Amino acid sequence: MLTLGIDIGSTTAKCAVLEDGRDFRAVSLRDSGVGTDGPQAAFEGVLAELGVSRRDIDCVCATGYGRAAWQDADLRASELTCHCLGGVYVFPGLRTLIDIGGQDAKVISIDAGGSMAEFVMNDKCAAGTGRFLDVMAALLRCPVDSFAEAAARSKSPASISNTCTVFAESEVISQLAAGAAVEDVIAGVCRSVATRVGSLARRLDMREPVCMSGGVARNAAVREALSEYLQVPVLFDERAQLFGAMGAAIYAAKRKSKE
Amino acid sequence: MEVREILDVFRAADPAALKEKYLAEGRKIVLTAPVYTPEEIIHSMGLVPMGVWGADVLLKRSKRYFPAFICSVVQSIVELGMRGTYDGASAIVIPSLCDSLKVVGQNWKYAVPGIPFIPMTYPQNRASEAGRAFTKAGYLRVIRDLEAATGAKFSAQALADSIKIYNEHNALMRRFGREAGKYLSAADRSAVFKSAFFMPKEEHAALVKKLLAALEGEKPLSGPSVVTTGILADSPAILAKLDELGLRIAADDVAAESRQYRTDAPETGDPLDALAAKFAGMGCCSVLLDPEKRRADLIVDSVRETGASGVLALQTEFCDPEEFDYVIIKKACAAAGIPLLAVEVDRQMANFGQAETMLEAFSERLG
Ligand code: SF4
Repeated sequence: MLTLGIDIGSTTAKCAVLEDGRDFRAVSLRDSGVGTDGPQAAFEGVLAELGVSRRDIDCVCATGYGRAAWQDADLRASELTCHCLGGVYVFPGLRTLIDIGGQDAKVISIDAGGSMAEFVMNDKCAAGTGRFLDVMAALLRCPVDSFAEAAARSKSPASISNTCTVFAESEVISQLAAGAAVEDVIAGVCRSVATRVGSLARRLDMREPVCMSGGVARNAAVREALSEYLQVPVLFDERAQLFGAMGAAIYAAKRKSKE
Repeated sequence: MEVREILDVFRAADPAALKEKYLAEGRKIVLTAPVYTPEEIIHSMGLVPMGVWGADVLLKRSKRYFPAFICSVVQSIVELGMRGTYDGASAIVIPSLCDSLKVVGQNWKYAVPGIPFIPMTYPQNRASEAGRAFTKAGYLRVIRDLEAATGAKFSAQALADSIKIYNEHNALMRRFGREAGKYLSAADRSAVFKSAFFMPKEEHAALVKKLLAALEGEKPLSGPSVVTTGILADSPAILAKLDELGLRIAADDVAAESRQYRTDAPETGDPLDALAAKFAGMGCCSVLLDPEKRRADLIVDSVRETGASGVLALQTEFCDPEEFDYVIIKKACAAAGIPLLAVEVDRQMANFGQAETMLEAFSERLG
């Protein structure tokens, strides 16, 4: 049995194909999300990699911000459920998952049986999300992918507000005008995201092990700042961005096997 | 009448059209603001009480009277007043039950000068003898102001009669609250509660009675259910999502719904004392002082009694009384092992994406 999960986010599209509910056979990722051709490209990409067609897939489950718009889905599931399933697959025994995506951030607490026990999502502001980092990257003229490297050089991270993207933007400008080093500002920006999301996590009964998922998980500076803020190790896996798609494929397999 | 036909009547209870109808019949309308107003008094004086709990409208003109962080219920009431939506009403009764409501009464005088503002000032300690006397004095002030604004006259006998009508309606609504979750969608359930604020009580009661009889022959719905709590639960987008997910509302602790109907006034003795006794007997509500906060137990108990799978807290943004209670409710649910989801709602809400995702995840969790 092949099941396919497609996770359509605000800035990326990801797919994962699972065989018999156990082994992932192929994954794909495109850097354009809802409302673009990214989801279709990710979908076709994963099928091409496996050398199969849509007919060979027993069940497609769509998740993510754009899940409702994906016509070819047999099932839909929220990204919270899917990230939880993907996280537990990669890290068996996982108890807390922190997902920072392009548009929002969520923290999921997972029970001992691997099911979602509780979750919180950030409120409307982009602070503490990938979007916040993108805004800062444009302002600082430094790609987000280079943030970790720059932050590592920081000697004294700047203090940047974590409640509002617009305020943080003007703070960054004033810090630069006052002569702060760019790497210190970048380290401050990463800390700001970590503090914002970390305080969300503290609203839950946070237990270890803790992992990060979503695109921002790739940023080691945010991971380290989060780990420091929460005083726990934060696990990371290269597939962090694919947890949603993987979880959707697992969800589809579970539903199929119940039928 | 079939269930669907009856529900269509509730759903068609459009406040604007009803207001025009009452005015065309020569009746006088008195607006009643949240959370509790002595509707029985208004009814007994031959006036038509119509509930005003705001609406999902863009706030423009009312902004001049409020800071940004105040609940959109009071802001939208003033917005509608300033737009002329309530024109034709003879007065508005605004109780003093939360800080926002205290402010709105004062602003109303300037923002909507054409509709007289009548304050209903309640005591914090409502159950003591002094508390009851204070409440009664508040009612007497309302009566005096209503007589001045409408020319209608108060009589104790008429109030005693109205109390009976309201008690009967309360009992029917309590029964409806219990039965609705078994048979009705969230949207239909909400329509019955909402229409109670606009339709004449006797008419509403008769229709609820018919509905309850018709429901007896219906097949109960299956699937998970929740107990809702909050000030309002009438957002069409949220209700539609609950229905799409097949999540029934087994019972509610919503201010605009069941909280209105929990307590009856005694039908003996002086009717104004009886109304004060009713207020004294009310509780389990964020705007009514309760040092023991029994509201949290009430929610846990109603989950147990109805077999609901979880609690859905619909939090009106910037409603401080509800925010204070939420912490206590959260702890009580956690201690009882009851899944709880808090979704922030707002009369200004245009994007429901996040709320819908949260509801989906919650329903997947409840399985
Ligand atoms: S929603 Fe809350 S803050 Fe607003 S009027 Fe009602 S009780 Fe007061």
